[in-house]
Amino acid sequence: MDKYTYQLYSQILRIFWRFFLIVLVIAFIVILFPFVKDVLIMFIIAWLLSVLLSPVVDFLESKGFKRGWAILIVMILILALVGFSFSLIIPGIIRTVEALTSKLQSNVITEFSMKIEAFFEKNFNNAELARNVTARLNEIGVNLLNSLGEFFKNVGAFLASMIIVPVITFFLIKDSRRFKGVIISKVPNKYFELSLNILHKVESQVGKYIQGQAIDAVIVGLLSTLGLFLINLRFDNPVPYFVFIGMLAGIANMIPYVGPVVGAIPALATAILNNPSNLGLVLLWIVIMFALVQAIDNAFVSPLVVSKSVNMHPLVVIVVVIIGGNIAGAIGMLFAVPLTGIVKVTSSQVIWGLKNYSLHSSPLFKENALTKTKGRETA
Amino acid sequence: MDNPIWGNGIFRKKKKDDDIFALLKDIPIFSDLIPKEIAEIEKIMHRRVYKKNEPIIRMGDPGLGMYIIVKGSVEIIEEKKKGENRILAKLKDGSFFGDLALLDESPRSASAIATEDCDIIGFFRPDFLDLLYRKPKLGIKVLFALAKTIGERLRRTDEMLMNTKEKKVAKHHG
Repeated sequence: MDKYTYQLYSQILRIFWRFFLIVLVIAFIVILFPFVKDVLIMFIIAWLLSVLLSPVVDFLESKGFKRGWAILIVMILILALVGFSFSLIIPGIIRTVEALTSKLQSNVITEFSMKIEAFFEKNFNNAELARNVTARLNEIGVNLLNSLGEFFKNVGAFLASMIIVPVITFFLIKDSRRFKGVIISKVPNKYFELSLNILHKVESQVGKYIQGQAIDAVIVGLLSTLGLFLINLRFDNPVPYFVFIGMLAGIANMIPYVGPVVGAIPALATAILNNPSNLGLVLLWIVIMFALVQAIDNAFVSPLVVSKSVNMHPLVVIVVVIIGGNIAGAIGMLFAVPLTGIVKVTSSQVIWGLKNYSLHSSPLFKENALTKTKGRETA
Repeated sequence: MDNPIWGNGIFRKKKKDDDIFALLKDIPIFSDLIPKEIAEIEKIMHRRVYKKNEPIIRMGDPGLGMYIIVKGSVEIIEEKKKGENRILAKLKDGSFFGDLALLDESPRSASAIATEDCDIIGFFRPDFLDLLYRKPKLGIKVLFALAKTIGERLRRTDEMLMNTKEKKVAKHHG
């Protein structure tokens, strides 16, 4: 075997091993993913929370609090706020779900089925078709109730994560610098400054983006709540639990393009279920109110608080939201855009780093090269 | 560096590295700090080991922070395109370089290479900015000392420039 054939052979072998390793890693991730999905989601939520809460903790630390105490104070305040809000909202939601369930189970479906059967018999003279349609409707109703049941089964897991997520968040905030230090200590010297710089830049940009999104969500949530409150005042309370629905709209607003539409649906659905006398007008006002909130958000709030470093094409947003939904349901949809944003910021920073840092070997740093260097000694 | 998992809470040993403390106390920008503050600075530093002939920083790369030599020796070299590189300085234990990069990301004006196996600690701008936000009193102390160091260096450069100028004028007239 001549020298060139040997070099080519070893190069092909190297490429093959790299490819094999990548395939192995991907296969490993795909196989492991279903088992670690829940833990991974908890970690992502905890990490996002740590990014959100870190500035407040840093502020308290700058006022003389020990970091551990500062985190505890912030987390206790947040948990108290969430607990208080839930204690106000949850009983209402349970009452609504119960009312809905009993409505669906009893009169409504039966009455509705009878009406449909009568309608089909009268107009098409086809009782079998009518029975098929009502049977299908019943099936949908039962499925809906089953999924509600599943939701309540998941409450246990939800409560467990309510304990685990704060614990992970606590340590992520407290020891973030040490974790980063450990990771960066494993990086070879050649890539050390590059990695450290990229890590800090990504952290800063992602932090600003997530914090901006959170502030935007709170403002949109408050504006929506205020709008729904005014509609309730004007039209004899067609949207109960408007605080919850308004805040939901704020959270949904974090998903660009899709969120504002999704955010309006609970308000419209509640109004339809309540069926006030002037339903059409109420629905129109709800749509106008949400459009107005969006206009205010797009014109004033978003440009001020949301970082532009993570701007994405609408098509990309829709695709990643669908993928996120497939992987982890509603939470996946909510986190798809921020996570894609993180990937985007990271890749752009890596490209920046590779362009600006000289990673190629220079003759200066080759063995014996120093002998060629002439100069003055300034010890 | 401590293990972030097992090094936590009750398992963490209070280890005080007196050598590093003494070393940092000798660096002008940390010389005014009390032991507690130096311990705080130590927490955000990165310790690295470089082999002989290994580059620490490269001329033209974005500046990120300063390095302090714990053990070993480093040469500061100006790289030239034609290959004739110039040694600007030879640094030993306790010396530091790259402190200007604590202020901005301007490209490094020279390269630094380990001329023997080195133990080095790095103090970087993002960590420094974070410190300024979290512990403003300590951050301002370091920032003020850094400004003083850079001011003194500027004054010395001015004096050297004036001397060179005077010598040139004297040579021209005499």
